[in-house]
Amino acid sequence: MSGSLYWLQAGGCGGDTWSAVGADSPDLVEALRLGGIEVLWHPSLSRQTPAEHRRLVAELSAGERPLDVFCVEGAVVRGPGGTGMFDTVEGRPKKALVEALARRARFVVAVGTCASFGGLGGDAEVEATGLQFTREVRGGFLGADFTSGAGLPVVNLPGCPCHPEVLVGTLTALLAGAPPPLTERGTPAEWYETLVHQGCSRNEYHEYRVEESDFGGNGCLYFHMGCRGPMTWGPCNKLLWNRRSSKTRAGVPCFGCTEPDFPRPHPFFRTRNIAGIPIELPEGVDRAHFLAYKGMAAAAAPVRLKRRENRV
Amino acid sequence: MTSRITIDVPLNRVEGDLEVSAEVEDGVVADARVSATLYRGLERILVGRGALDGLVITPRVCGICSSSHLAAAAAALDRIAGVGPPPNAVRVRNTILAAEHAQSDIRQSFVTFAADFANPAHALSPLFAEAVRRFEPFRGETVIEVLRQTKRLLEVVALLAGQWPHSSSMVPGGVVWAPGLAELTQARLLALGVRDWYERRILGCRSDRWAAVTTEAELDSWLDESPLHRDSDLGLLVRLCRDAGLDRMGRGPGGFLSYGSLAGAGEGAEVPAGAFLDGARSSFDEARIAEHVSHSWYAEAAPRHPAEGETRPYATGLEGGKYSWAKAPRYDGRVVETGPLAEALVAGHPLVSDLVARHGPTAFARQLARAIRPARTLPAIERWLAGADPEGSFYTSPPGVLDGSGVGLTGAARGALGHWVTIRDGVIERYQIITPTAWNASPRDDAGRRGPIEEALVGTPVADPENPVELGHVVRSFDACLVCTVHTVRRGRRVGRIRIGA
Repeated sequence: MSGSLYWLQAGGCGGDTWSAVGADSPDLVEALRLGGIEVLWHPSLSRQTPAEHRRLVAELSAGERPLDVFCVEGAVVRGPGGTGMFDTVEGRPKKALVEALARRARFVVAVGTCASFGGLGGDAEVEATGLQFTREVRGGFLGADFTSGAGLPVVNLPGCPCHPEVLVGTLTALLAGAPPPLTERGTPAEWYETLVHQGCSRNEYHEYRVEESDFGGNGCLYFHMGCRGPMTWGPCNKLLWNRRSSKTRAGVPCFGCTEPDFPRPHPFFRTRNIAGIPIELPEGVDRAHFLAYKGMAAAAAPVRLKRRENRV
Repeated sequence: MTSRITIDVPLNRVEGDLEVSAEVEDGVVADARVSATLYRGLERILVGRGALDGLVITPRVCGICSSSHLAAAAAALDRIAGVGPPPNAVRVRNTILAAEHAQSDIRQSFVTFAADFANPAHALSPLFAEAVRRFEPFRGETVIEVLRQTKRLLEVVALLAGQWPHSSSMVPGGVVWAPGLAELTQARLLALGVRDWYERRILGCRSDRWAAVTTEAELDSWLDESPLHRDSDLGLLVRLCRDAGLDRMGRGPGGFLSYGSLAGAGEGAEVPAGAFLDGARSSFDEARIAEHVSHSWYAEAAPRHPAEGETRPYATGLEGGKYSWAKAPRYDGRVVETGPLAEALVAGHPLVSDLVARHGPTAFARQLARAIRPARTLPAIERWLAGADPEGSFYTSPPGVLDGSGVGLTGAARGALGHWVTIRDGVIERYQIITPTAWNASPRDDAGRRGPIEEALVGTPVADPENPVELGHVVRSFDACLVCTVHTVRRGRRVGRIRIGA
């Protein structure tokens, strides 16, 4: 189990890098060492001179030096007008570099929602796209039929940012020769067939429809505060963040940042509803039964929950 | 005969993409241009969105200062809502902000900045072997320690805000949730642990001993006093900077700006607002900010205040001298730098003030100001956490609907950060952001004056054009963060070929 890695930052904020640096047990340096991963280049951490880096890129692009894992963070910027000149490196569009290295790598990994689906720039003038998806649509920058040297499509690790344990786990599995099964969205099922709602410490409030309509309380944030945990695929409340918590546990509604449509056009912190009932119901739920269940659940809610006495 | 060459280099280990074009005459930089080469258009994404959406979108401007953007966005909305956060919420917001600053200061100083001392260009230095042992990327002893320990500060943020980076826990009127005794105590223990480590490993002495270092002479005697000082990571950094001549290079424009931040509830850790121009302090007046676009890829316009700023892209290559996606903000018509050095000078920090009075705002002074800032922020975190009352209020619900204009000014790890926001009918009508790196990495302005990093590069000796490590030292002393080039562009405007360093 070993291999080389090149990390490219395209149209993004660097948050996936700093999230990765927060990996724990093993931490990032340990994980790289234990996994035999040689980082040929990481823009935030590597020390090579510009001249050395140019040579490295030339060798990798020409196939003169093998590349096992190509990680891309940030969206591929195609604007303006398809030129890619909103994101350049030494006067040339960075998207050309993305393409050159993607064609040479055994595995291509999209780290974060921008690289996976387009993310923040996906509907904007910068004409951003994910590596193999634009929003929900397969295709993206590299095309629907793209496969990397090892015969896999782009492995998408969405999340704004990507959870470090997902990244470390995926890289380790790929290099160990046991690629994780992927969903239709190109995400490893292992981590993305869990809803953010699962494991939220507000779940008992949710069960009994004890819902908040303003900030500050212990209740559920789904009915009124815009929480998308019940519709969002991601391991936030299973793995937790920075070893400690998650947004929903700490009172911040889930914004659905692992989803292809993030950021959605509708206002955050507000649930779109009809007569007080959310338009979007938890994944796979039947509306009629849901309404009956929620009515009964609210009636059965214990006083301790109605009084928000239970800590979350 | 004069030897004249141009060095064009993309510089990494800054956040995002920055390219330097330096004209070198007889081994010394005679002129420099700094280009931001990524354009993300985030201000535009905000227009037309929900009133609170800046709290979610703007942290994603920057993966390394996301809490600072959140704090600025929340401060602007506080103004619009007309509600101040209760003291407990102020303490929680300050803790999140200061924890983000402290981890960034330590990582930048001892991981990204110090790595240049492990560059083979310094191989003849007697300190080289030790620099490699501690600061080589992915392997250095200090690098590994710093990454492990600073994560604990992000645990503090996660306990209060759920995660780092990219939470949205600050809202107009306070914070979204009241942390309990459990979270506050745990966060305080983590902060105490990091301070203990910072004192032992980074400083090599307790904070009170370090606070007694108030002049350059006292810095020298502190180094001589004990091997613990001399061989601490800070002691080594000081010696490496001097060995490489950073106490004689990288002098900035001589103007400094701080918006002020971390105003507390009586804990006395506030970073004052102010300007420091030609050695004199003056009060800060937000109305004196204007952005120039004459050398930026935007349509020609007179300098404007950010509340009236417009952003019309006009990408022309180097035609007309335009060469960056960054605009050029100026204060009172002056070129100013921002960041820990500016904050220290505005606050009258004795050691930093003495160093700058003697040698000017060098790369060494700039980096030292950043590396020692946690000696102040880490104890402040403990005081805020100790002062927060888990039974008290952390949120005041704003009355009525959000409508109107507000500005949120704060200090990010890299310096002055401002959000100028207008909300109409529950929708964002206007959103303008000026990031710290917009100040520091700005291109030339209408009067042709260089931006701070460009100015600091002039006069820098370059021994080997193939490995211009000196340029790296100077640029990285600003802790530049280029992912923040947020300005708006519109589709369908005239766009030509953009060439860098041609």
